[in-house]
Parts: sequence; C-alpha cells; structure tokens
Amino acid sequence: MKNNLNNSSAPVTGRRYWRSLDELADTPEFKDWLHREFPVGASEMVEDGTSRRHFLKIMSASFALAGVATLGAGCRRPEEKLEPFGKQPENYTFGEAQYFATAMPTRTGAIPLVVKSYEGRPVKIEGNALFPGSNGGTDRYAQASILDLYDPDRARHFKHDGKVVSREAALSFLGEHSKKFTANSGEGLAFLAESSTSPSRARLQKIIAQKFPKAQWFTYDAIDSGIHQRAATQAFGQPVKPVFHFDKAKVILSLDCDFLGGEDGAHEHIRKFAAGRKAGEKMSRLYAVESLFTLTGASADHRQRISASQVVKVAAGILSQIIDGNTQMQPWLAECTKDLIANRGKVLVVAGQRQPLEVHLIAHAINVALDSVGKTMTLVSTKEALSADLKNLDAGATDTLVILGGNPAYNSNWLSKAKTVVRLGYYEDETAEKCQWHFPAAHYLESWSDAVTGSGTLVPVQPLIQPLFGGLAELEFLARLAGEVQTSAYEIVRATFGGSGEDWKKILFNGFAASRPPQSENLKLVQTASGLNQRLAGANIPAISANNLEVVFYRDAKVDDGRYANNGWMQELPDPITKMTWDNAVLVSRRTAREFGVVNGDMVEITLNGRKVTGPIWTQPGMADYSLGLALGYGREKAGRVGTGVGFNAYKIFNGRYIETGATIKKTGKTYTLACTQDHWSMEGRPAVREANLEEFLKEPKFAEEKFHGVEPPIAKSLYPNPLDEAKKTALHQWGMTVDLNACVGCGTCVVACQSENNIPIVGKDQVRRGREMHWLRIDRYFTADPRKEKAADKFKADENQQFAEWIDEVQAVNQPMMCQHCETAPCESVCPVNATVHDQEGLNVMAYNRCIGTRYCSNNCPYKVRRFNYLDFNKRPLTELKGTIYSTTLTHKTEGVPDIFRWWKDSNSGMRTEDEWDLIKLSKNPDVTIRMRGVMEKCTFCTQRIEHAKVAQKAKAGGSDKVRLTEAAGTVPKTACQQACPAGAIVFGDVSDAFSSVSKSKLLPQNYSVLGDLLTMPRTTYLARIRNPNPAMPDYHAPFSTEEYESQNHAPKGHS
Amino acid sequence: MIFPKWTNSLPLVLGLVAVLAGGAVAAGVTFYLTPKYTRAGYQPVQPVPFSHKLHVGQLGMDCRYCHNGVEKSWFANLPGASTCMNCHNQVLKDDPRLQLVCDSAETGKPIPWVQVHKVPDYVYFSHAVHVRRGMSCLECHGRVDQMDEVRHDKSFSMSFCLDCHRNPAAAIRPVDKVTDLGWQWSPNAAEAEKLQEVNGKKLVHDWKVETLQSCSACHR
Repeated sequence: MKNNLNNSSAPVTGRRYWRSLDELADTPEFKDWLHREFPVGASEMVEDGTSRRHFLKIMSASFALAGVATLGAGCRRPEEKLEPFGKQPENYTFGEAQYFATAMPTRTGAIPLVVKSYEGRPVKIEGNALFPGSNGGTDRYAQASILDLYDPDRARHFKHDGKVVSREAALSFLGEHSKKFTANSGEGLAFLAESSTSPSRARLQKIIAQKFPKAQWFTYDAIDSGIHQRAATQAFGQPVKPVFHFDKAKVILSLDCDFLGGEDGAHEHIRKFAAGRKAGEKMSRLYAVESLFTLTGASADHRQRISASQVVKVAAGILSQIIDGNTQMQPWLAECTKDLIANRGKVLVVAGQRQPLEVHLIAHAINVALDSVGKTMTLVSTKEALSADLKNLDAGATDTLVILGGNPAYNSNWLSKAKTVVRLGYYEDETAEKCQWHFPAAHYLESWSDAVTGSGTLVPVQPLIQPLFGGLAELEFLARLAGEVQTSAYEIVRATFGGSGEDWKKILFNGFAASRPPQSENLKLVQTASGLNQRLAGANIPAISANNLEVVFYRDAKVDDGRYANNGWMQELPDPITKMTWDNAVLVSRRTAREFGVVNGDMVEITLNGRKVTGPIWTQPGMADYSLGLALGYGREKAGRVGTGVGFNAYKIFNGRYIETGATIKKTGKTYTLACTQDHWSMEGRPAVREANLEEFLKEPKFAEEKFHGVEPPIAKSLYPNPLDEAKKTALHQWGMTVDLNACVGCGTCVVACQSENNIPIVGKDQVRRGREMHWLRIDRYFTADPRKEKAADKFKADENQQFAEWIDEVQAVNQPMMCQHCETAPCESVCPVNATVHDQEGLNVMAYNRCIGTRYCSNNCPYKVRRFNYLDFNKRPLTELKGTIYSTTLTHKTEGVPDIFRWWKDSNSGMRTEDEWDLIKLSKNPDVTIRMRGVMEKCTFCTQRIEHAKVAQKAKAGGSDKVRLTEAAGTVPKTACQQACPAGAIVFGDVSDAFSSVSKSKLLPQNYSVLGDLLTMPRTTYLARIRNPNPAMPDYHAPFSTEEYESQNHAPKGHS
Repeated sequence: MIFPKWTNSLPLVLGLVAVLAGGAVAAGVTFYLTPKYTRAGYQPVQPVPFSHKLHVGQLGMDCRYCHNGVEKSWFANLPGASTCMNCHNQVLKDDPRLQLVCDSAETGKPIPWVQVHKVPDYVYFSHAVHVRRGMSCLECHGRVDQMDEVRHDKSFSMSFCLDCHRNPAAAIRPVDKVTDLGWQWSPNAAEAEKLQEVNGKKLVHDWKVETLQSCSACHR
C-alpha cells in the first residue's frame, strides 16, 4: 500500500509557494531546520548542550527538598484573606467585566475603542463596533498599547536635573514659569509638540498664544503623516483632508502608498479595501507601484517594482496620458492607465506619505480628471494646524523649550540651545537625559482628552484607571503652564465639548459624537494639470545605480517611529513582510545583494551624503533594485529593558526626507544573527494556500477543493468511528471558523490581539532564533511568482544559485493566518500519553494544562505545526535574562539578592522578577485565562474563555427554562479575540450546527477548503481561497491554468487512479 | 569470602523496608495531600464573630442579601461593611463585637475575612450558572444556616465536582428553593429521595441541563 502522506496533496506542477529564499533554494540549512521537529538546541537548556543531564541532577535535588518541606510543614494552603469594600459601590459586581468607550489618539486621527476592565484594571482593547462604519476592528498598535500602560520601565518620577523631586515641587515650578512668561509675554519660550487632533489641546494652544504672544509653537513628528492634509489643502486651496473610500473604487492605483500597512488609519483602509474585494465580478482591482515590498504590494493584483524616487516620473506619465493622451510609457503603465480611464468615476489614486508633495498633487489631479472626488475620495474640512517653521526652533527657544511627548534627541540630530528644557514624556529616554525638568506623562487610558478621527468625527478619550505612577495628562500640563485656573483635564475636555449634560453622557456612552463631520464639496483644483507638468519638468531626478543607491526610510510595522520599542509584544511580532523579530535590517533586492556580494546577516556600512550607519543585510524578494529599505525606530539607546539596543538606528542618516539618493554601501566583514520566523513551523510545500484568478474562479468556483487533490484520490471515510460523532448529539453548539484569505492582508493585528487576550508571553530574540516563539496564531507569508517565467533548469536546481534565478523577482505574496484547526479527528489527541489534549462535546480540541507532562508528542504529530511548548518559565523570567545564552535555574538564580527557591517558598506566585514589577505584570493579565508554566504545551483554544463566559451568561439568564443555546440572531455568540480585532473581517467564528450562522454560510461558499483536508483530520477551521483580479490586458497577466492543462501536467487526472 | 553471611538476607530486608516505606509514603499522601484532609473541616477563626446560624437559621435572612453577586458573577461576593450597617445602625449598634464593622463602614478599610472555600486557580467555577440553574448552596457549602463559625463542609476535589456533573438530577431543585437550605421535596426522607430522582430527571430534561464532563467546562 502506498503511503498517502508522502505525496499528500502536493501538486507536481503549477505554482510553487515558498516562504523564504532558503526554502526555494532548498539549502542544507533549511532542510536541517525542517526535518527537526524542534530546531537545534530547542530542547537544550543552555547553549553548551550539556545541560539536560545537569538539569536532571538539579531536579532530583529539588524533589528531595520539596519532600522534606511537605512532611515538615503539612500542606494546607496558606491562609488567604478576602477583603470586601467598606462601602459597597452601586452598580458594580465583583468578577464581572466592565466596558468603557474611549479612543486611542494617532497622529492624524484616533481609533475609537471599547476597553474591557476587570476590577478597575484595563485588560483588553477592542474597536468600538458602534462607531459608524466600523466592524470593531483595530490595528496592531492599538492592541499592543495596553502593554505600555503596565510597562515597568515607564517614567515614574518628576525629575529636576536628573534628581527625583516631589510632585508638588514640580507643579509649583510650572506655576512660577507661567507667571514669569505672563510678565514678559512669552519671550524666549517655545513649544515642541507631536501632532494631535485634540480640540482641547488646540483650544489650550490658542489660550497660550493669547497669553504669551511672543511664544512659538512647533509641531514635529519623526514619521510625518500630515502630508495628505497638506497636499489636499494645497491642491484645493482650502484646509481639507482627504478620506479615501477604497470600498467604492473599482480600480485603485497606489503610488508607493502603503495604505494597508504603514500609513495612518490603515485599519480603516483595510476594512474598506476588504469590503470591495469580495470574491465575485464586482471585485476591485489594485495596481501598486512601489520600491519596498509592502502589505499593499502583497495585496495588489499587479505590482510594479520601481525605485521610490522614480515614482514621481511614473505619476507624471500617467497624468499626461490621461490629460493629453500621450502613450509613451512602458506597456505596464500604459495598460494600467487605460484601465483607469475606462473606469472613470470609480477610480482612486493614492500617493504614499513618504513621497514628495508633487506626487500627491499629481494623484489629486488624476482623481479630479477621472471624476473621483466626492465619490471614491471625499474631502473633510479641517482646522489648519498652527505650526511655526522648525528652522526657527533655536531662535525661538532662547530661554525655555517645552517638549510634549516625542523623542527628538533620538529621532533627529537636534541639540537644544535653550536654558531650560521642560518635557512631558512617557519614558525617561534619550530626550529625558537632555532635559532640566522631566514630567511623567499619563497613558491615554489614564487621562482625559479628546480627538478627531481621520474621517472627522469627534471622539472622547476617557480614562479607565488612575495614573499608575502619578503621570500628568497633557492637557493638565499645558493648562498649568498657561496659568489657567481650571487645570483638571476632565474639566478642560468638558468645557471644550460644551453641550448639555445629556449630550455629554451620550458621547461618553457611545464613544463618539453623532454629528456628521463637515464635508467639503465642489472644490476645484488650484493648480492645473499642465501647470503641474511644467513644475515637474524642471525637477532633476537622477537614475539610481550601484554607485548611487536610493535609501527609503519607512515607518516600522512594529515599533512605529520608535515609540513601541519597549513593547515586548511589538518587538516579537514578526514583521508582516520580512517575518523578522527583534531587529531591523537593510532590505535589498536579490540583484543588489548579488552585485555587492552580500548575503543575509552581512553587516554593511551605508554612507548617505556624508552620514553613516551600519546594519545587517536582508534580501527581500520584490524589492526594487538599488533601493535600500531602512525601518526607523530601532537602535534605541535608552528605551527600557526590552527595547534598548535592539536593531540599528536609521535616524542617524535620516535627514527629514523619506526617500534620498546618493548612498553607497560597503561590506564591513562582520556578520550578525537575525531572528526571522519565516521558516519556522513550515508546511513542507503542501498546498496550504490556494488561489485563482477571478476568471478561473468564475469558470470553476470549486477550484480550491477540486483542483488541489493530490496524485492519489482522497480517502472518503475513516475505518474507525469518531467518538465526537456520539458526543455531538447532546451538545448545544459545534464551534467552527473560516478565514478568508481574500480579505486577509496580513497586518498582524490578530497576532497581537491573541497575545493580549490569552496571556501569551514573549520569549526574547535568542529564544525566537531557536524556534521557541509562543504565538498561538501565526501568519504564514508565502511568496509565489509567475510559473511561466521559471525555466526548467531552475525548477530542479537544488543549489543555492537558485535564489538568484530571475523569475523570482516579480513576486506575489499570500498571507495565511494559521492556528489550531480544531480537527475533529485530531492527530495530537491520539498520541498524548496522559489525555491532556482531548475533544470536548462542542468540537473544541482542548488542552488541560495541569495534565500535560510535556512529552511534546502532540506537537510532533500535528500536521499544522500550531502547538507551542513552554521551554522556559517565560512568564516569570525577566526579559533581560532571556537575552543571554546561559540559563540559570530556579535553584541558583537570585532576585534582589534572595535565592528564588526561598522567594517561591514564601509566595509560590512570585516570579523571578522584582516585587513591584511582578505586581504590574499581574495587573496586565487576563484573569479568564490560565498563565501557563514551564513544561506544558499550549495552543489556540478558539478563545474557550469567551465561549464559556457566553454560555454561563446565557444559562444564568435562562434560569429555570430551556433557552440555553447561544444564537447569532440574539447576538449571544462570542467573538474570538482574533476575529474581533481583524479590521478586514477575514475571520468568522460561530456555531456550525446552526445552518443560519455566518460561519455556516461562509463554509458553503465554493472557494471554501480545508488545509491538508485529505489527511482526514476534518479541521473545524477552513479557509476561503484567495481570488486575484488581474487585468487580462496587462503584460504580467497570468493566464489561469485550465483544468485540463493542470491535469495533463499532473499526469494524474483527479478521481482516477 | 568477601561478603559476610548476614548479607544473604539483605535483599529481603531491603525489600521489606522498601514496601514499608512505600506504604508509609502512600498512606501519608492519601491522608495529607487529598482534599478530604486538606479542605473538609477547615474552620478558621474570623475577625468578626459573625454567626450564620443566627442570621440565616434563626432570623431567616436570604443568602443573596449579603452575597449579592452570586446570581451575576462567578464570585458570590462578600458584603461590604455598609451592607451590615443597613441593620446594625439600629440593632446592636454599640456592641463591641461590631467595632470592626463600624470602623470599616466609616473609614472604608476592609475587614480581613479569612477565606474558607477555595477552588484551585486552574478551576474556573461560576456561582451564577450553578445557582441560577437550580443548584443549591447546600450542595457545596453544607448547612451553613446551622454553623456558628463557617466550616469547610465538603471536600472540593475534582471527583466531588464530577459526581454532580455526571448526574445533576440527584441535586437539582426548583430555582426559587436554591437558598432555602433546609428545603426538601417532601418532609419524609424516603419520599424526598424518590421525588428527587423523578423530578430531578424532569428538570434536567426540561431545562436542557448539560452533563458537562469535558475539560473545557472548568479548565481554560
């Protein structure tokens, strides 16, 4: 009998998918990685490899100790106290979660949120689903921001010249300063603030301008997202900002605009984009012209690899073809432009925030020429932000400089010349060092404020907790400085809002103002298209080459501009494209790497117009040649214990321009180890992802199940009865999930949401490198390229030269969220020697942590590689100690001078962290989920705590009746954390035994398929195949394989053998 | 001869010692480490000599007057001192035994009650779902209405939970009789038992009470 597993569903030809160039080249390193269930050293305690035996020795000693202790002391639990309130508060039930509407301010808007709070401590952030148009999705920054609240490295003290001073002393300093500047009308006073949309701050800013007329206000952001507003204001001659409606567009052209990834408000864009991409004839089409491989490029139907500095030429060419009918361009652009013209009124052209103003003006000109304004792009009136020219900062701040947030000492080469620098900051970071006065800032969940979303709606920022370390709200800080009588942030926000008490209650309850934002209609372009062309004609755009490289600085997907550098969740989140953790790198194309003779991890020195920085190389398929991609936000010197010294600081060569030419690189001869997860948990080339072109899909809707059967016909039925079939009969629900690969853009919000909900620890770079990352939900990013360009010689080449084959350059990517599939016949369950993983009657594959003895057999037998093992006590161990190579055990390790074994004896909950840090960590955890200890296996549970919570609530409501079933119609079915956070709505969870539930409907769609379904694992999580919508007229159109073609190439028509 | 003669019996002696030692360990573990010993019977002295026997048994107060979270939350809730003062601002208001309660209500400083009943941290038990579905306080806490000082009555081992989860019909009762600890289907014990079996089965069926025995019911 043939072994069905070996050729399991692997199509012999057709598209090939790979995750990394190593996998494609099939290098020995990759093979070795793959064929070990766990990577080299994963099962070792320390690097020298002798430790397992050593560990056993120590363990036997500790058992002996424990035995003595047990006999000596008896084993009753320690006496615990229950301390009720002195005065019972009204409308509060201990143990039940409370939810509050608030918002997270961003640079150019705000994300409306609903935050879950247990016993007065915020534990989980969700989007506000009531917000008009919102589906309750958020972005990864919002999800991770809750960890910042509990960051033990936050600024905790008021400081003067580096010494701690009392709060009163610091506040009286503000009062005195205010009086001094009232007297001299603000001579020598300057403010340096990050941009904000808060109406209250704007009001205080105005008050300050009146009181201190000579004072100056500067706005500075390291990542400038304000260009969209500036460009629209300039183009239309009025203070407006554009709102893009990707859902209403039929054809979208991105001019180096990573609207799904790095731009502000990406979660809104993802939601709208996904809405327009429902598989079917009405699907929108996305063209992307870009230099870096971004999430937008990964979602594009057609992608043009071009250096960022040349985008302006492309944009001008497209505009001239539309206006004047010039067709001098290369066929890709010419056909793309034709498609734009053909869809007049349903077109949206967007320019990226790193592109210069000209590109934005051209994009607006195209949108106007193609009748998009008011349809796919609306303009919202906005108040012009008042900011003085940054060049005058030194002249303005001769006496006192007040810095609100930001980190200019790190992200610009600024040195203050002011006598006194006063700063309100969240961390005692690089800038804090250079300040005379430092005030700890409050988190947005600790302070009152307000904001205006990207689409112009007013939202309140409502605190959920008193400042943990006595931080000061920005509004209070400003009010005190302005010498206002009313300094309470709440009163300031309340006064700005005005309105009646009822209105105020309503806005706090809903989390947004109901009034529609002011729209601007019938605006005319100030500058005509021909005028623009003239302006461009004078511009000199040098071609880039090996001696004149281009550097593209981009907002990092994880640490933003560096503000999340000390956020462990963000550092450990694999970058959506490179899948790199705990680092940034110099991204180059394969050709560039080859020309300079560099490989991944080689350190190179970049010289950009006299400025120098050194970083490791990372070869990224899909990058433009001679372009270097540098992520900002790393290389922090004073970020805290997590973020200090991670990566290299690209700001060192950053000069305010996000695209700069004239760079050269030089090998330093050193190498560097990067922790990249792209080869972890590999699926060995089986067709985990399935996709088709729209044309092919319309012809053969069920392609995903039918075309991808392996060489052998699938087994129809198992020989053995499944115990679940019997258990099902009495169960109330059967849980299942679908993941729509067509909607998923791979942003990673779900990964962080899962981490936040399920108390998933971070493990540190060294552990990630060993393949020990703990994420229950990972996003697999597969690359593929036009199969017709692959030469026969390339196909069977197994040497490393393969990665230099030309055909790989024009890559496409598919993202696939992968978590426990909750197989009905789960392979993990049958190999567990202690029944720690079993099925419950509702179809969940459950883990009983207390039964698990850590054999890891289950993970070995899992075909999806979704189980995670706690190699170390990641939750207890301080991160600084995960970085090192030597791992000391509980017996030898000391915290605060006391051996951990004694600490454990005194309080078994106490970790290896200092007491106050441990208290903070306990505050941040979700009380509904067990915190797993070392030595147990864990994995996605379908958020069983949420299911149980919903069931308990429904049963308690039902009381003495039979209304115990959760139904979608009644809105009682819970959402999983990933589903709730997903801005695209790609994840649908629900009761598959209810034929009318959305998950049942989703599973009936023709493109629904099970990953590795022919192993008869019967996964409860199924996927909807990816559908692309390429333009047949384009030169890079991939003709879909017909079924016959597919079969003839497969030599095995399906259904026969 | 290398070994002296007594070594001939050494294996036997060693074996005997091993059996005895093993038996002692097993007995010790059974006695000291099982919930029967560690839990049932625990009766700590509380900071305030509050008598359930007096308040519930004699005065007939409902459990839910003080434990007001029991129908809404996993936690039954301990009353705040202000709840006590609802009555005690008139009754026995100067009694020295109530000093701690009065102070707490005034200052807000909590009374440090000693926890009696506790399930392990890895067990997620909800009072609300049990109480609202006809499971009496009695089943886990015993006749609290007859206790002067609260005592841990049942063992709270996993098998204790499972006994009921396997056969809820043996314990279920009408929802409105949940806090009536002395209530029975009939004053006659034999008849009550019979009625419990019949009516219990009916309630379990009518209310769709699940016999949840999978791990996910209690562990997450």
